[in-house]
Amino acid sequence: MEKNVKKGNAFTNNPIVKMIGTQKIVVLGVIILLAAFFSVLSPAFRQYSTVVSIFDYSYYVSLMAVGVTFALITGGVDLSIGTGTIAAGLVGGYVVGHYDLPVAVGMLVCIAFGLFLGIFNAVTVAILGLPPFIATLGSMMVARGLGSIMAGASSITWPQAGTPNGWFRSIFKINVGGKMIPIGFLIVIAVVIIMSIVLNKTRPGRYIIAIGSNKEATRLSGINVVKWHSLAYLISGFFTGLAAIAYAATFQAVVPGTGAGLELDAIAGAIIGGTSMTGGAGTVGGTLLGVFVMSLLKTGLPFIGLQANWQQIITGIVLLIAVFVDILKNAKK
Amino acid sequence: MEKLKNNTFIKKVGFNRVVLFLVLLLMYGIFAILSPTFLSYNRILSALNYAYFLGFLALGVTFVIATGGIDFSIGPVMFCAALISGYLLTQNGLPLVLCLLISILVGTLFGCLNGYLVAYWNLPSFITSMASMMLAKGIGSVFTKTQSVSWPQAVQENGEFRKLVKIMTSDGTQIPTGLLVLIIASIICAIILNKTKAGRYILCIGSNKEAVRLSGVNVKKWEMLAYVICGTLAGIAAIIFVGAYSTVQPGLGDTYNNEAIAGCVMGGTAMSGGTASIGGTFLGVLIIALLQEGILAMGFQKDWQYVITGLIVLVAVYANVRSHRRKN
Amino acid sequence: MGEVILTMKGIDKSFPGVHALDHVDLEVRKGEVHALMGENGAGKSTLMKVLTGIYKKDEGTITYEGKDVEFTSPKEAQEAGVMIVHQELNMLSHLTVAQNIFIGREKMSGKLINDASMNKAAKELFAKLNIEIDPTEQMGNLTVGKQQMCEIAKAISHESKVLVFDEPTAALTESEIEELFKIIRDLREKQLGIVYISHRMDEIKMITDRVTVMRDGGYVGTLDTETSTKEDIINMMVGRVIYEEPKTKSNVPADAPVVLEVKNLNAGKMVKDVSFQLHKGEILGFSGLMGAGRTETARAIFGADPIDSGEIIIGGKTVHIKSPADAVANGIGYLSEDRKRFGIAVEKTVAENSTMASLNHFMKGIFIDKKKEAQVAEKYVEQLKTKTPSVEQLVVNLSGGNQQKVVIAKWLVRDCEILIFDEPTRGIDVGAKSEIYQLMNELVKMGKSIIMISSEMTEILRMSDRVIVMCEGRKTGEMAIEEVSQEAIMHCATKREG
Repeated sequence: MEKNVKKGNAFTNNPIVKMIGTQKIVVLGVIILLAAFFSVLSPAFRQYSTVVSIFDYSYYVSLMAVGVTFALITGGVDLSIGTGTIAAGLVGGYVVGHYDLPVAVGMLVCIAFGLFLGIFNAVTVAILGLPPFIATLGSMMVARGLGSIMAGASSITWPQAGTPNGWFRSIFKINVGGKMIPIGFLIVIAVVIIMSIVLNKTRPGRYIIAIGSNKEATRLSGINVVKWHSLAYLISGFFTGLAAIAYAATFQAVVPGTGAGLELDAIAGAIIGGTSMTGGAGTVGGTLLGVFVMSLLKTGLPFIGLQANWQQIITGIVLLIAVFVDILKNAKK
Repeated sequence: MEKLKNNTFIKKVGFNRVVLFLVLLLMYGIFAILSPTFLSYNRILSALNYAYFLGFLALGVTFVIATGGIDFSIGPVMFCAALISGYLLTQNGLPLVLCLLISILVGTLFGCLNGYLVAYWNLPSFITSMASMMLAKGIGSVFTKTQSVSWPQAVQENGEFRKLVKIMTSDGTQIPTGLLVLIIASIICAIILNKTKAGRYILCIGSNKEAVRLSGVNVKKWEMLAYVICGTLAGIAAIIFVGAYSTVQPGLGDTYNNEAIAGCVMGGTAMSGGTASIGGTFLGVLIIALLQEGILAMGFQKDWQYVITGLIVLVAVYANVRSHRRKN
Repeated sequence: MGEVILTMKGIDKSFPGVHALDHVDLEVRKGEVHALMGENGAGKSTLMKVLTGIYKKDEGTITYEGKDVEFTSPKEAQEAGVMIVHQELNMLSHLTVAQNIFIGREKMSGKLINDASMNKAAKELFAKLNIEIDPTEQMGNLTVGKQQMCEIAKAISHESKVLVFDEPTAALTESEIEELFKIIRDLREKQLGIVYISHRMDEIKMITDRVTVMRDGGYVGTLDTETSTKEDIINMMVGRVIYEEPKTKSNVPADAPVVLEVKNLNAGKMVKDVSFQLHKGEILGFSGLMGAGRTETARAIFGADPIDSGEIIIGGKTVHIKSPADAVANGIGYLSEDRKRFGIAVEKTVAENSTMASLNHFMKGIFIDKKKEAQVAEKYVEQLKTKTPSVEQLVVNLSGGNQQKVVIAKWLVRDCEILIFDEPTRGIDVGAKSEIYQLMNELVKMGKSIIMISSEMTEILRMSDRVIVMCEGRKTGEMAIEEVSQEAIMHCATKREG
């Protein structure tokens, strides 16, 4: 008998490493290193409030990233999630503020807007067969304009904490005796677990992976590829809506015209977490870890003197490195 | 219809371009009817101002799309170039000519970065150029310490470069020299694309890269060149932009990518590469610029521009993808 | 052999410009392994695609289990119990073996997929077939042979009644082939009807009960394997009437200089220690089965794929070829087996394709001299008798044979001394074929040297001055045309290791 499995090294063949995945362990190591690095260089970093801001940043990005992971796994991409999140936040907030409606309605509007965007992308990508990056670029612009138009081109402030309608803010962060507890993390973990199950243990997830792996073979297996391909973009849209809620709950105001570029943080997070640009491979848990790398960088860099304007540069560099590693990984196979 | 398509004149110009030209006229007519101010010379100049820099961006990205790639960094790269060179001009007092060259150099360097990563490292062009879009935004912002930069006015010292865009005669008449500059640039680009080795290889790479490689051609070099051309033109676009609008802010510019790409795709350049039309790009850019101006003239909120450009991108790409599918 | 389970009668299918199937018949019985034979392009795969609904037939009837049927999709055929184990594997490399086998019909517990029970079922399936594969392994990590086994297991798990194997052994090792044959015999016992497509004569005798032979899209006949000889089958495949008699003696003078010498070439897994010489004015035929490493050898010499070790000597000088650009600079031209992917830029014109390898000769300063380009392209259109309305025509609008001539023109414009023709007549109709042959003869008369890779025995016998046979990446035979026979070639082509 000749060997039928390619051999890895001792580390990658370790059963625990195999179960969790090499990339995720490496990313975890990177997170620990980064945290140590910032802590050593900046005493100010070693504060509870820093942890809270790392979490704050991670909520909406991880929700976007979980959604876009599904689009990436089909071998596509969704660029509309950044402006979509802001647009949904604008529209939802506008509805609450302008019509004096309960904040729950606003949250539903966020999700509805996200789903609308998802349907739009599903039609252009899965049904009309446009290249995903250019199709979602179109919807990215549409979302950017629509959000601003519907909200009347002004910043939208969602109800503040402490006001009757401000309860939604404590979904992500509660004030216990003057100390902010980032409980949103639990929600994100729950979402990650649920979506991991959807991806790995249900038919829709299985077929989304299959489409990314080999669309034609999937079609020949008698699977309705248009339907499941569409679903991936609907999921991405739905999570755009959820991300809008998290964004609104975390920040004081939602400003029109922003949001372009957020999608790259999410996409970079997903790719760092092991989701392949070429489709077929990816995990939701990995995406969460990847987002944490981004979150740590964005929160930590100002502590070592690199102000906010460096963040875009960092996003760009990290994105390039992540994509490059992804290409190398595929080339090896 | 078929008969029309076979008319020798139309065949020579290209059916697509004739249609674009008619669309342009029709749009102008509609805007003129709906908004009487639209007929004024100033409105036309204002639309043209928008077309100049966008035209340079679109000309550049035409080369990249011709190879089958994409460049999402052109808008921010243009801004980055304008910020860095403008900062050096206004804060450090470098000579004007040097600053203009630096602007072009910055654009070229970004083109080299994109081209190198795409051609030699095989990274996907769309994500690579998005990453360099972030780099461009960030570098521009870091360089100017998050300040906006205002280039000198025509009458001020160092304001001569604005003659590239517009000349004001002594009796107050404005001459749109920018149009001439853009037309000349378009002609040069058309010659490069259709008459030189570089253009030939760029188009052939877009059609079938492997076949070109197996013909003994150094495909990486020529593919990279397309991105370099694109970057250089973005650097020139920066000069034209500040010539028309003076002020650049850090962190912006990405919407222009989409408008330039829309103009290019509308003009008949295939997203999948291999066929490209500079004349089409030129007309496409005029349509986009007219549309932006029209939306404002009719009193719509500026945000409609995004929505409409987004939809145009989708429709143009859809038409593009479909016509391509039919051929094969 | 039991009763008839599948009958295809008078199947006819045309594609634009090609009559792919010309009233073909095929009958399969239960408990029979029925070989379907023919050279490349004889229409075997097309026939099977018609059977499983990938193509729609123009004429003819398919009777399956006593009823007339017409499957409209592979899925429908699958559900009825007719399934192909494809030559190109339809696998999802990111999913596990078990997940691949049960794709589209996952075992569920409630709303969730029960991977454990799928793994168990896959394990049982493998046990039944005596295959040792871990169902939880990722498909992409298996060897091609093992992947093939998984495809078979998948087909069997569908409770198929008719199973089509399309060149199943092309990528398998000796021991894997034995395993496969055991499985096939087992399936025969279970009264399945099996269609077995293959080129390999020895396998046909070993495993099949009857053989149906096709040639040029037509039905030639059906034989009982046991009572017929290898020669009978070969004669049917090749046809008594060959377009022209095979070459009987080499046209190359004995003292012709060596223009290309390859010494101990190694490249990847498919080129192992290959050495040969090519003389001026010679057509050197490369024969062998599919996947013997001939194309890989050509690509390595041409610099399209990296060389691991070995020496290439052109005109007495050792050259270092690291890219196609180096090869072209050394006067080598390569005509790929896959024209559309590697040969032409389809949306470009005849003229543009013709000058693609030699644009430097068409420059006037920085501009391309389009007039000269058109003139030269026209010259070769005339010389090669390329059928095109003008040199401004897009290559996509030409027929296969004429596209091939455009690629040849590309290398003639470049004035290459050494030409590698990889399956030069694949997918080309008979008329254009003999034109290409004529052209090759003219080229060697002009002093060019040609390496011709071909899977068609008649082509090898008719064109070559000398024949090299490869098997599993090695050179297993070299003979002068005077001593070549089909049997000798077949013998070398199946000379496997160990």
